[in-house]
Amino acid sequence: MSASPEMADQRFLDLLRPIERELELYCRRLIFEQRDAADAVQNAVLRAYRAFDRYHEDASFRAWMFKILTNEVFAINRKRGRIAKFELAIEPEELDSLAGAATDMDFSLAPSSWEVLADALDQDLLASLETLNEIERAVLLLRAIGDLRYREISQSLEIPMGSVMGNLSRARRKMRDAILRSRRRTAT
Amino acid sequence: MKCAEARKWVRLYLDSELDAKTSAEIEQHLESCAECAGLFEAEEKFDRRLCTTLRQGQRTAALWSVVESRIQSTRGARRLKFRLRVAIAGTAALIVLSIAVFSTRPRTLDLAAAVEECHNAYAHQITSPEFKGPVPEELARKLGDRLDAAAFSFRPSSTQFDSHGARLCHVQAVPVAFILGQYKQVAVSVIVLRKSELEHFPDTKRRLESGHAIACSRAGRYQFAARVVDDHVVCLIGDAPRPQLEELLKTVYKPS
Repeated sequence: MSASPEMADQRFLDLLRPIERELELYCRRLIFEQRDAADAVQNAVLRAYRAFDRYHEDASFRAWMFKILTNEVFAINRKRGRIAKFELAIEPEELDSLAGAATDMDFSLAPSSWEVLADALDQDLLASLETLNEIERAVLLLRAIGDLRYREISQSLEIPMGSVMGNLSRARRKMRDAILRSRRRTAT
Repeated sequence: MKCAEARKWVRLYLDSELDAKTSAEIEQHLESCAECAGLFEAEEKFDRRLCTTLRQGQRTAALWSVVESRIQSTRGARRLKFRLRVAIAGTAALIVLSIAVFSTRPRTLDLAAAVEECHNAYAHQITSPEFKGPVPEELARKLGDRLDAAAFSFRPSSTQFDSHGARLCHVQAVPVAFILGQYKQVAVSVIVLRKSELEHFPDTKRRLESGHAIACSRAGRYQFAARVVDDHVVCLIGDAPRPQLEELLKTVYKPS
């Protein structure tokens, strides 16, 4: 980008402001220690700002920002001793089996279970997020909050498409299981 | 499409990651299969519930205010860096331009630079003629082989040139006849040296031997012109326009 610093600054802020809420939410849901969230957001945004001359307009700014923020959160999480578990079991050439991998539905669930899930309390849903490892959580949040496509998630996390689908599927299944377990415990 | 296949694609379908053809086939199946339609609907409901919950929350104004103020302070440093880069680029361009101008500008001839000091002393009345008319015998005896008395007889024949007299002078240890003259109210010096002494002034020698009848140059604030007359080199230097100096030099002949 060869614009003057003033123009580049304005362009950066124009692109950033509409996604500030999503970035902050994503960070707060992904980071292990809530007290680190503000630092992570600040560091990531400044890092992006300094690297903005290397950002290409044809790429998605949203995906680029989420990628930088994810790296920042992962780095902070690592400092806290929580190592990300990258699960790369599914490779792109196994795409045919991906459909199955991405099918996290348990078709044997009774209709009542689906009702339970649909009416799950916010606190149950948020608690179920805790059952996910770092990478499962990142994939799920990039999809749910960042509204990124599978391809963008794959690029943001630098993992194959197969891993995106596999992790997304596992994340949803784990959360469903956690909610149902919690509701069963409450019922008894 | 059968139930098993439709259920295989459920996630990709709900995340809009399928191609249009497969999506259409699934939609077609869901229209005809109530069981699958129910399962898809349940999954979609859970998905919606999950997204709604995860997306709940407000932007913390204070946090983003701090972020923007940190950008402002970084921005100052960036602007300074940008201006510094512009200044450096400008200076570099200026240096390149100066070098280009300097290298294309004609260099002062070595002989012109050497005689400038003599003329400057005359122009500022620091030096004055030693004699007027023929070379005194005492001086003639001192001349030796490197300069003959005839050198002091070279003069522009223009009527507008007038001489105040002459003196012996040394330019970079080369003996020269120094005639202190005046042309159109301007001090003009005539410097005459043996042609063989050009060995000490290679730039001028090269210029005169490369087909230039007159070698011109600027010497400080003065103009300089030199030409070979017989076995002498006659130079004129003064604060006169170069064409005038050249014309004046052309009126210098070998003394009879």
